[in-house]
Amino acid sequence: MHESLLKTKLPTPARGWVWNPYFQILLTVVLTAAAQILLKIGADGSAGDPSVGAWLGFHELADGWTWLGILAFVASFGSWLYALRFLPLGLAFSLTNGVHILVPLGSWLFLHERLGPLRIAGISVIIVGILLLAQSVARAEEKA
Amino acid sequence: MSALTWTLVIISQLALVAGQLFLKHAMTRREQADPRGWIGQLMIGIVTMTVWFLLWLGAMARVDLSKLMPMEGLSPLLIVVGAIIFLRERLDWRGWTGVALTCVGVVLVSAS
Repeated sequence: MHESLLKTKLPTPARGWVWNPYFQILLTVVLTAAAQILLKIGADGSAGDPSVGAWLGFHELADGWTWLGILAFVASFGSWLYALRFLPLGLAFSLTNGVHILVPLGSWLFLHERLGPLRIAGISVIIVGILLLAQSVARAEEKA
Repeated sequence: MSALTWTLVIISQLALVAGQLFLKHAMTRREQADPRGWIGQLMIGIVTMTVWFLLWLGAMARVDLSKLMPMEGLSPLLIVVGAIIFLRERLDWRGWTGVALTCVGVVLVSAS
């Protein structure tokens, strides 16, 4: 499984948890979810703001959130590229579905959106899927 | 969804898969004894991902998110298949079940 292009073995990452590719995937997921929520806050802020002059300070803040969101997106891309050096694409990409766990949870916590039963069911199904993917990796690494 | 929107969505999904394959290819290439061309491939990957992003935004402006999300849920599956065909990756039954469950989960989360 850890064979890819031209049958080369994937490299071993440096020691330390920061350089662990799975930690970097987690970082990708957290940063992407944060970016989505920040962009939403930024968009909501400027949407309900017809009079720019009166709300100048608020407008600036809204822009600030948006830029923070963009920054988080760029950072998430960096950790994603790092993780791709060490993990097979299919597996790594499937793990990034963790975003769909964090976005509804974060929207519930920070944006006070509703967390219905269907959403909770979906989140649970994704968690089981990610656990199975993790097991699949563990087996592949044992064999390697 | 009109024919145009469908075309937009399909091309955007293809761009996503192609973009990710290029990114992965570039990062693998970078580790090799002769890493020539990896930056070029990375750039192709980034451009393709930008195309995906713009098309996806275009589709989002035309279609309800609830109708688009099943396509979003499908993307890991498409990427796994692409990686098997073009990068010779392998997945055991646990991996396949995991991919299938995450796809279903994404659709459930976005259907609500």
